[in-house]
Amino acid sequence: MMEGLPFAAMGHNTAMVLAGTTALGIAAGTVGCFMVLRRRALVSDALSHATLPGIVIAFLVGLALGVEGRSLPLLLLGAAISGALAVAAIQAITRWTRLPEDAAIGAVLSCFFGIGVVLLSVVQALPAANAAGLKGFIFGQTAAMRSGEAATLAVLALAALAGVALFFKELRLLAFDEGFARAAGWPTGRFDLGLMALVTLVTVAGLQTVGLVLIIALLITPAAAARFWTDRLGIMLLVAGLIGGLSGGIGALLSARFQNLPAGAIIVLVAACFFMASLFFAPARGLLARTLRRARLRASLGAAR
Amino acid sequence: MSRRSAPLSRRHLLALAGAAGLLPAAARAETGKPILLATTGQVAELLRAVAGDTAEISSLMGEGIDPHSYKLTRSDTVAMMRANAVFPSGLFLEGKMTETLDKLAAGGKPVHPAASALPASLLLHPEGAEGHPDPHVWMDVSLWKRALEGVRDKLSTLYPVHAETYRTRTATAAADYDRLHAYARDVLATVPAERRVLVTAHDAFSYLGRAYGLTVVGIQGISTESEAGLQRIESVVAMLAARKIPAVFVESSVSDRNVQALVQGAAAKGHKVAIGGQLYSDAMGATGTYEGTYIGMIDHNVTLMAQALGGSPPAGGFQGRLALAQPGR
Amino acid sequence: MAMLQRLRTRNFIPPADAGVSPLCVTGLSVAYHRQLALRDVSWAAPTGGLVAVVGPNGAGKSTFLKAVLGLVPALAGTVEVYGRPLAQQRGLIGYVPQRESVDWDFPVNALDVVTMGRYGMIGWGRRITGAHKRAGMAALDRVGMADYARRQIGQLSGGQQQRVFLARALAQEARLYFMDEPLAGVDAATEQTILAVLRELEAEGRTVICVHHDLQTVAATFDHVLMLNRTLVAAGPVATTLTDANLRLAYGQRASGLSLLS
Repeated sequence: MMEGLPFAAMGHNTAMVLAGTTALGIAAGTVGCFMVLRRRALVSDALSHATLPGIVIAFLVGLALGVEGRSLPLLLLGAAISGALAVAAIQAITRWTRLPEDAAIGAVLSCFFGIGVVLLSVVQALPAANAAGLKGFIFGQTAAMRSGEAATLAVLALAALAGVALFFKELRLLAFDEGFARAAGWPTGRFDLGLMALVTLVTVAGLQTVGLVLIIALLITPAAAARFWTDRLGIMLLVAGLIGGLSGGIGALLSARFQNLPAGAIIVLVAACFFMASLFFAPARGLLARTLRRARLRASLGAAR
Repeated sequence: MSRRSAPLSRRHLLALAGAAGLLPAAARAETGKPILLATTGQVAELLRAVAGDTAEISSLMGEGIDPHSYKLTRSDTVAMMRANAVFPSGLFLEGKMTETLDKLAAGGKPVHPAASALPASLLLHPEGAEGHPDPHVWMDVSLWKRALEGVRDKLSTLYPVHAETYRTRTATAAADYDRLHAYARDVLATVPAERRVLVTAHDAFSYLGRAYGLTVVGIQGISTESEAGLQRIESVVAMLAARKIPAVFVESSVSDRNVQALVQGAAAKGHKVAIGGQLYSDAMGATGTYEGTYIGMIDHNVTLMAQALGGSPPAGGFQGRLALAQPGR
Repeated sequence: MAMLQRLRTRNFIPPADAGVSPLCVTGLSVAYHRQLALRDVSWAAPTGGLVAVVGPNGAGKSTFLKAVLGLVPALAGTVEVYGRPLAQQRGLIGYVPQRESVDWDFPVNALDVVTMGRYGMIGWGRRITGAHKRAGMAALDRVGMADYARRQIGQLSGGQQQRVFLARALAQEARLYFMDEPLAGVDAATEQTILAVLRELEAEGRTVICVHHDLQTVAATFDHVLMLNRTLVAAGPVATTLTDANLRLAYGQRASGLSLLS
């Protein structure tokens, strides 16, 4: 029976990429909903760009400690730390100065990313650097995904879904009305931290897959697309996860089918297509539906006169 | 010039300022010797083979550096301005230096690509990259010997006073290259016919394949800047399993991620592929070691290939100076 | 674990005749960047009844509310609810924030919002049950919004949104309510509904502290008044506190003539 399905003929490498990108898409789509609803999309962008200096510094630290070859956990740890530092810097700037938030985000993003680019250029002269493939974190190297990485992404997706399901009402409260939540005694600061930690986790996990430049698209686009389909948060989360997963999967399959298509970029393009389709054709809040509703209302007004 | 060129970039302004500061010393090094700058270590080797102590020779890129993606830094540009002649490898190997090299040449600095000594008929053109020949010419020792002779001719034009020294030194080096070329051919001939497939991270070994009778398969194309496609990996995995190739190879200057994916893919098809070892593709080995010389690099590469693919190379390689670790990681 | 207890148990209320004030603020000062928004406010709320917090624009009325609730950091001061620190008594507090403080395009409906008032009783990670939803519906019914339970909140008018916020606070079943301009910009019907609910709360013996924007209607609606202008100007029953002299102190020359006493 399995022979009938295309998956049976799929090679191991394609299967791994498919599994990993689908899992990443589900995790990113779900978690990204809260980023979009809390108006934190740009902060996530700063976070992902800020991982670059952390990766290079972690590589240098590893080199100094005599770590053999490329230690992926070390690099990802460095990415997470510098990403978290960037978020903390943005919060500090908005709290302690009068600079508006988008200016703070822009300043921190460009500063961290600039440091990363300079460090990369300095490091390229070191023999071990090219072998470490540090540049691969910028745009991702999806095609070479192995079972270990795919498994990690699957676990991450499950953890994200479980966390969101378990704390659904708390997350909804936090995202909707933080003041009310705080007054009622909810530890909003800690929840915020947890949410940012989850976003950092998804970002760092996605570095090797779609790269730090594009991971933001995977976090934001499915959520933004899902918003057009529903007025209920629970449904929105499901749709976003679905769109994210489908984008990952379809992107992987397209890059397997056609030559010279970098998987990371194709995944993001597929997500963008879902967004455009949702924007125009979603029955609840899409442009077409809205235009038709208005036309009908206008017509009924005319008929009533 | 009637064409308004782009404003001088800050890097160039800084380089000019730096060079201006060095002007009194720019003509010759303190020792009075010509300053020759190569881009890759292999080209620097050519210069040393020809000129030896008669010049000050250095290279921009050393061990483990990937020339396809290497971006010039300010100190590099200063070094280029300071040198009396610059020797790139050529054929766009140094993908991100083209503009600077062109500007240098236009400004009157002698710029001699090592590969310019090779007639177009001897160059390989990979599929789909029309107009851009494969730049990895040093992998065929006979071609690199021609490059050696081209460097000798250029240096003799620039510094006729040393022409006799250049001629004698080149003759010695050329004889070494001839013997190395013969060794490579012989040692790779010991690999059984059905195993004569070389799978590496990127397409750096086509000239080697043509010269010594191997089919060459690179996961990435001739430049490491291109991302490996999933379709490519799948097809290489299929070939590995079908032809039962025993070993694939990683490279010192390229990430091993793609090769590791190959190994896992083949294992899923039931075919165990070992990593035959690390080859020196775009960069030579560590400075000061045997593998850090051109002869050592080629020796290491072909002996390792022969050993991993089922041939029978001599234990110490070409000159008995190799200490190969057991294959597989 | 203490967090969990705080949210789920009914907190400490002293016996009614003990004379402990539902809210006791001592020396509260708040700074915004370089200026003092509130200076040294000390005040005890009366037990039961409706209190209006009034003052000119920028007087720090909202700041006072938020500082008491711990939503903005205070430079100095203590806040006690029924004799215990506020942080331990959050289960007794209800809050109606300003309408502008949320994004009404958020994908929730009216019932979802009102049920949020019960979350404190549900606790961490537990499901919302049918009982909680019924309590939410009851609160919606009390403000006349039962028919709008499934409506996405962005589709409601300003007055309807205000009523949903009030219903959420009712669902909290608090003893002490803080409301930030609950009657601002609402239609007449909503105003009547809200006033009726406030009177019911008063009848139930609860205390309601409202930042109120309209001096003209203070006397008709509230029993007590707290007059602020960056510091405490006056506080007490409306009849004796809303004097010309106090109004002049709080609002300046133009405000006199609004008092009940000449």
